[in-house]
Order: sequence, then structure tokens, then C-alpha cells
Amino acid sequence: MNWWDDVLHRAVTEVVLVGVLAGLIGVRVVQRRLSFLTMALTHATFPGVVAASIIGVNILVGGAAAGAVVALGVAALSRRPGQDAAAATGVLLSGGFALGSALVATQSGFSRDLSSLLVGSILTVDATDLIVTAVVLAAVTLLLTLCARPLLLTGFDRAGARAAGLSTGLWDVVLLLTVEVVVVTVVPAVGTILALSLIVAPAAAARLWSDRQPVVTGLAVLFAVASGLIGLSVSTRWNVAAGAGVSLAATGVLLASWPIARARVRGDAARSHPIG
Amino acid sequence: MASAALRYTGVSVGYQGVPVLTGVDLDLRAGQRLVLAGPNGAGKSTLIKSMLGLTQLLGGTATVLDRPPARARGLAGYVPQTGTLDADFPVSVRQVVMMGRYRELGWWRPARAADRDAVDRALDRVGLADRARHRFGALSGGQRQRVLLARALAGEPRLLLLDEPFNGVDAVSQEAIVRVLREVSAAGTALVISTHDLAVARELADLICLINGRQWAAGPVGETLTAETLRRAYGGAAIEVADGRLVVVEP
Repeated sequence: MNWWDDVLHRAVTEVVLVGVLAGLIGVRVVQRRLSFLTMALTHATFPGVVAASIIGVNILVGGAAAGAVVALGVAALSRRPGQDAAAATGVLLSGGFALGSALVATQSGFSRDLSSLLVGSILTVDATDLIVTAVVLAAVTLLLTLCARPLLLTGFDRAGARAAGLSTGLWDVVLLLTVEVVVVTVVPAVGTILALSLIVAPAAAARLWSDRQPVVTGLAVLFAVASGLIGLSVSTRWNVAAGAGVSLAATGVLLASWPIARARVRGDAARSHPIG
Repeated sequence: MASAALRYTGVSVGYQGVPVLTGVDLDLRAGQRLVLAGPNGAGKSTLIKSMLGLTQLLGGTATVLDRPPARARGLAGYVPQTGTLDADFPVSVRQVVMMGRYRELGWWRPARAADRDAVDRALDRVGLADRARHRFGALSGGQRQRVLLARALAGEPRLLLLDEPFNGVDAVSQEAIVRVLREVSAAGTALVISTHDLAVARELADLICLINGRQWAAGPVGETLTAETLRRAYGGAAIEVADGRLVVVEP
């Protein structure tokens, strides 16, 4: 029997790949304060995924299309002065979810699939899902490495980035679309609704532990993979939904990190100290 | 025609067709320090951004380093106000200064010894070599401003643009910045510095451009900062006090 034929082997592999992916992009999301926007992306992905599964195309395609529309829409809105981007994002969030629910209501006997789209179904991950996740992971890693400098400059100092000749709007879109691709890729593992916790919680926790970008990134990946493995193990042992287990484990890591961060700040007495 | 750092003739600049500043005539050569003075909201930042082609040119002709302003992006060093930066970002002082080398480095070439030397020299110049490994956001406002100056210097620019470099800066940092700016211009770099602080303007400027919605005066300090031009630019009363300094009093 092939190693890949074992459901649990496939699930473990997917959880590790998805954890690395979520940790890598999560650091950017937290750093750029895009958590709420990412929340909207996850919910906007839902109708796309539902529509795709109704018409019988790959759910990744449907989710990516719907999410891209929202990512571009939000990028356009946030460029217009005087627009309240948070309000628009919030409306998109609930609007997207409502559209998904409306689509679900048009179909009978859809509730089982619905729950797997919402909270994931890691034990039914197939070889195609694994290949897609691995390819996306390689592509995202490559993009974040090759574009590290423009992404750093546009995130840290927008006026300086424009003065250096970078188009900050273009780089915002690049980042948002990358986040969207990651959101869609982690859907089979944790679902559209729970994707946020796997992306944001490990990165937010890692930021509490360190001020150094490479350390923060490494810890975020470690926390996300650990959350995935813990969640999977809890779910197989006590028959809890795997997506929920992963999500709760990630939340637990963040909660456990708070006291450490407080101790760190007290230790420094908020003084400047070497980080590099 | 001699090479000029800046040449503005009858320039109007603004956003979306609406002028913010009109009638600007400037001529800046290598090694000169030009101070843009005027009250808050006078259009100083807009004028500096126009030198990078980031605002709309609504009239007149403008060249920066003998080319259209947008083509000078990346050639001119730009020092933004520290307040516009994200202080929570997990970047070290050294990383920030290294950003000044991105033009030479491109997107992915690793830093070489020459780049690291340029960063070290720039940090040393602003007196923050011992803070290289500290987090940028953990420094004081004045120190952050000096780091941003070091970042611009690391790119070895021929023209350096500084937007309100003395805002929220302590006396020690202000002194350090003034000293470095004098050294840099003595070495041939042209400087444009915006400030609403007339005392600093007087101390630092070879040329002053007094603006508030339009250019009210431009030229050497003595001819420009007179009670009459200040009264016009500020719309208030300018009173000369004993030590030769001018104080502007709102009407």
C-alpha cells in the first residue's frame, strides 16, 4: 500500500503544508494590519466556493475568483480619500457570506458539503489538494523572497516608497491577491470561516515573542504547523471537527503568548535594546 | 547651460487640478541649502513632493537634476516626516538605513561590503552607530529622524529633500541634523529643507523660499526674511526683536 493512501498521512502532510503557508503570509497580514481585511476575504471566498461546487468546477477556482474581486474592490476603495475602508470591508464581509448562504438555499441536500466548505474537512483531502497546496506554497515563498524589498518598503514607509519610484497601490494589490490565494488554498483544511485563525493567530503570537522579522516568521510558521498537528490529533482522538480543533489550537497559542509578551515588556521596561 | 539641482519657472502645483501653490520660481545649484519656509498648510510638503513628480504640475516648467521631476525619483534622497512611518514595524535601524541602498541593490542582489560600509558611514555620521541593532520604532522621535537622514545619505544622493526634519525633534538631535546637513552641502549635495521654524530657517539657509499658497519671496536670507514679506506671507504682524530675529504674531 502506498504511503499516500492512508487518510491520516495525507491529512498530516496537508496540515504541515498549510501551516507553513499560513505562517508565512500571516506575518505580512499582522504586520500590515490586514487582519480585518483578511476576515472579509475569507467570507467573500465562501460564495465563490459554493457557486463552484454547485456548477461543478474546482472550488479553488471559484474561491479565487470571488476573493480576487473583493481584494481589488477593497484596494480601490482604500485609495479613495474620505472613504471609510473599514465600513466598506465590513459590509463586503457580511454581504459575501449572505450571498453564499443564498446560493446554498437554492440547492437541496447541500448541508453536508456546506459544513466542509465552512470549517474544512481535512480527512477527505486528496492527492490533488496536496499538490495544489505544495505548488502554492512554493510560489508564495518565491514571491515573498523575490519581492521582499519592495514589500518591506511599501509596508513600512509609503511616502519613502513612492519617492523611490515604487507604486504603492500596485504592491498593495500584489499583497492582497497573495493573501487571497492563501485563503483559498487553506479552505480544504480549515474551511473559509476558520482560515482566519490559522493565518492571523500564529503570526500575532509570534510577534509577541520577538521584534526580529526572521525570528517572527520562523515562530509563526512553527506555531501554525503545531496548531495544525495539535488540532488534527485532538480531532482524531476525540472526534472533534478537525477545522475547529486547528482553529482552537491556534487561538490557544495566541492566548498562551500574552503573559510572555507582558513579561518581555516589563523586563525591557520599554527601553530600547538591540534586536539584531 | 550649467547643471542645476532644481529649476522651477512659474510653477503651479496641486492635486486633481486644484492648485495648492502657485508662482514658484527656484534655481538651486549643487552644494546650496534651500529652505522652504511658511506656516502649516502653506504647501511646503506639496512643493517637496512636486520635486519627485508626485504632485500634479499645473503650470510652468520644472526640472530636477536636469530632468522631469518624475524621472528624478530614486536619484534624489527623500527624508519623510517620522510621524508618517509605522513605528510598530519589526525592523532594525540598520535595516532601515539599508533601504537607502535599494537603488543600487535592486530587488534581490544581496548587500555587499560596499553597501554595508555605506550604511555604517551614514549611521556614524548621524551619531547613531551604536543603535544599529535596535528596533527603529523603539528610538526617540529625534533619533528616528536621524536614522531617516542616514538612510537618505546611504544612497549618496546629489539632491536631498527633507520634509519638516525638525518637527518633534529634541535639541540634541536638531543640532546633530543641522551639523550633518552643513557637512553634506559642503561636499556638494544640494538640499531642500521645509520648516515652519524661522529660527532654523535663518540658521541653515543659503536661500529661502517663503510660501503660503503662493511664493511670497525667494532669495538670500537677508533679502527674504524681512518684516514686510513675513507680514504678507503669514497675513499677520511680523515684529523684529533686538537680536535680529523675527517673531510672527497672529493679527
